[in-house]
Amino acid sequence: MSTEKVKKTVPYTVPIGPVHPALKEPVMFTFGMEGEIVRTVDFAPGQTHRGIEWMGMRRNPVQIVHLTDRICGICGIVHSLSFARAVEQIAEIQVPERADYIRTILHELERIQSHLLWAGVAAHELGFDSLFYLTWRVREQSMDLIENLTGNRVNYGIVQIGGVRRDISDEQRVLAEKGLDYYQGLLDKMATLFLEDSTILMRCRGHGILSEQDARLLCTIGPTARASGLNMDVRQDYPYCAYGDLDVKAILPPPETGGPKGDVYDRIIVRLLEVGQSIGIIRQCLENLPAGEILWEPKMAKLLAVLKKAEGEGIGRVEAPRGECMHYVKMAGKEAPESWKVKASSYSNLMSWIPMLQGEQLADVPIIVASIDPCLSCTDRVAVTRNGRSDILTKEDLSRLSREKTRRMMQ
Amino acid sequence: MIGNLPMILVGAVLIAVFSIIIGLLLMGFDRIVAARMQARIGPPLTQPFTDIRKLLAKENVVPENAIPWLFNLAPVLALASAITILLYLPIAGFAPVLSGGGDLILVMYLLTIPALALVAGGFASGSPYATVGAQREMVTMIAYEFPLAIVIIAIAWKLAAAGIALPFTLASIQANPVWSLVGPLGVIGLLILLIVLLIVTPAELSRVPFDTPEAETELAGGILVEYSGKNLALFSLTQGVKTVAMASLVVALFFPYSLAAILGIAGIPAAVTDILFFIVLITIVAFLSVSLVRVSMARFRINQVISVYWIYLAIAGLAGLLLVMTDQIVGVI
Amino acid sequence: MAGLPFVPEVLKQLFSRPATNAFPARHLPPSVTEFLAKVARGEAQIHPPVPTPPKFRGKIVYDREACIGCSLCIRVCPAHAIEFIPETKRVRIYVTQCIFCSQCNDVCPKDALHMSSDFLLATEDRYAESQIVE
Repeated sequence: MSTEKVKKTVPYTVPIGPVHPALKEPVMFTFGMEGEIVRTVDFAPGQTHRGIEWMGMRRNPVQIVHLTDRICGICGIVHSLSFARAVEQIAEIQVPERADYIRTILHELERIQSHLLWAGVAAHELGFDSLFYLTWRVREQSMDLIENLTGNRVNYGIVQIGGVRRDISDEQRVLAEKGLDYYQGLLDKMATLFLEDSTILMRCRGHGILSEQDARLLCTIGPTARASGLNMDVRQDYPYCAYGDLDVKAILPPPETGGPKGDVYDRIIVRLLEVGQSIGIIRQCLENLPAGEILWEPKMAKLLAVLKKAEGEGIGRVEAPRGECMHYVKMAGKEAPESWKVKASSYSNLMSWIPMLQGEQLADVPIIVASIDPCLSCTDRVAVTRNGRSDILTKEDLSRLSREKTRRMMQ
Repeated sequence: MIGNLPMILVGAVLIAVFSIIIGLLLMGFDRIVAARMQARIGPPLTQPFTDIRKLLAKENVVPENAIPWLFNLAPVLALASAITILLYLPIAGFAPVLSGGGDLILVMYLLTIPALALVAGGFASGSPYATVGAQREMVTMIAYEFPLAIVIIAIAWKLAAAGIALPFTLASIQANPVWSLVGPLGVIGLLILLIVLLIVTPAELSRVPFDTPEAETELAGGILVEYSGKNLALFSLTQGVKTVAMASLVVALFFPYSLAAILGIAGIPAAVTDILFFIVLITIVAFLSVSLVRVSMARFRINQVISVYWIYLAIAGLAGLLLVMTDQIVGVI
Repeated sequence: MAGLPFVPEVLKQLFSRPATNAFPARHLPPSVTEFLAKVARGEAQIHPPVPTPPKFRGKIVYDREACIGCSLCIRVCPAHAIEFIPETKRVRIYVTQCIFCSQCNDVCPKDALHMSSDFLLATEDRYAESQIVE
């Protein structure tokens, strides 16, 4: 249906965004409404493009690693790990085993805090602020642990090309184990508070449904895809860091809760179960933490020299809390990479909003939008302005532009 | 009536001042208690006063699409009508200021006026959020009116059946506490009716889980989204006064007791005791029906608000009414 | 309570200590700067912030004597927060631009750069004395 036609058939439109309390991230929605029912959905990302790739192409990989920390306020490890893996692939750097385990531990700690953060936001979107406060309070434990291990609550600065910058000492190990025990004891309570509350059940069960087929067709990833029943997880399908040594299986909504229905409730279940899974992974890593170096080359000047000589292309893929995150890097024997492309996980999930939102009530828009855990600041790679006003690029425009760019790069 | 005019005016001013102060204190209390239940410290008790003072100093912004006269009239209308309700309710054992002029049926109708003013203001704002909010407010109003009516009729019927003249006047309800008129079955019935009334209260005050008209997360404050400055201050005051009014209604219907009479105090100390006792009672009611409810559940969708009131609460209310009636019939036999 | 598992939880929290850290005071003072001035004069008590962990990365500390002016730190600084002063052959660090990654600490051959645990750095002037380390 063309936009013109739609405008005539819906009685009124409600704009939500780019700045709106329903959205913790800047995106612009236009809903065609019929009473309380959403008939048509359109959304426009690209409200918060920061040109981070442009900045990266003027810096050396050691600098970019710290830049990647700041692509997302939550997935610091994810982006820096993904970038580092791409560069290590190009420069053929062998990461020490101990560093791989430490990376895994922090990666999973990040997943715990990210999922708890999401759970709090979801509770807030449902109008359940007490649960939001409680969730964020227990999240502090993981933030404190991360702060202790890396030196900062966010923007950890722990990943370096060829390893990690800080080791885990024996005292820190004790702290980490204490933190894990805390979350282990908390899991049942969180499950009760989220899954047995009848008001949450009323609001989430059977709403924002994404069928398995739609999830596959729209290439959704991460917990959104798993809640719809797609058995996929980069940690399982394409193990990296220490995941090859561990037994990681993608978590699907268990049959005793009614099997994968692909609704908002299933997404809550998947994320809560993944917190439990992460606790298990960290425990295994701490137990089997191998001894040895944590950096491939501790001397930065030497590392920089190696990276300057590196030539080739690399792709770093990691399973972020929101789904697969991918960094593409091309180095051409210069200080700065010739090309750097970031695909944040939310990018693949945005289109699933449309089938989820159609036919739902306006009241459910916030929780459905939040249910894919969108992270648009990390996702926005393009903002087009022409003559001072923003513009929309069609599919044809995009393929023409990418062909032109490829030709430029081939020369 | 004309001869009483000066008295009525003085009474009205006193009630207005009293209800605004108590209303704001109740809001402050609600914020502290809610904060504590969420493991936060919360603002000082006087925070609502500070907020109102700040709002009164701010500019009134009237949106371009708004209908200015209606937009500006709505807050005044809302506050005035909310205070008017209190003129018909007995406060702290004193007879209502306008006693003899109206009864419970009038109070029921008056209760809808602040909400109607809010709806008018919402539609006059000319914003899609406010329009959706106003539609929801109307639906909510229709939804809770039915259980509210059941409760009021049940109590009036009980008084009538007990042979009391003028069962709908608040003076009769005040003089004859319903609990003393019923047997054990009736007590259960009245308890159910009390719970129904306590659950109607958050919707009347549009608090979570029935705050769908304001729904911060999807409507950004909905019906109030375009209001600012003095107009918003008036709506905040209305909110406080409405809290007092609803709590007073609950107290007047179910707890029309005087502590002074029980303790045998007379004179001015009696008035002071009764006022304090009344404040304690409405605080307890506000805690149970506003603070506790709003921190322990998620917001309902608008269709769920309707089903909660029309199906669950209406059935509960009718069951309460039936129990009270059965009790009366059994008692007579 | 069936169906509403949060009711016992909120009632329990009502009677326990709030989790909030009352920094800098229990309630927002009418003027924060005045409050801080009072604290400095010893007339008011400040509630301490949450303690920082060991090896926290706060405001940078520069040991001018140890520095040899190799400018390796400038090469790795992601934020271009370090400036080389040719006349003195030393560096100047702009704290407002620093992103606290401590990469310069790692790269420094003479161990002249360190991170302190100082984190309350906000000012209104980005070139204030406290915002420039040299």
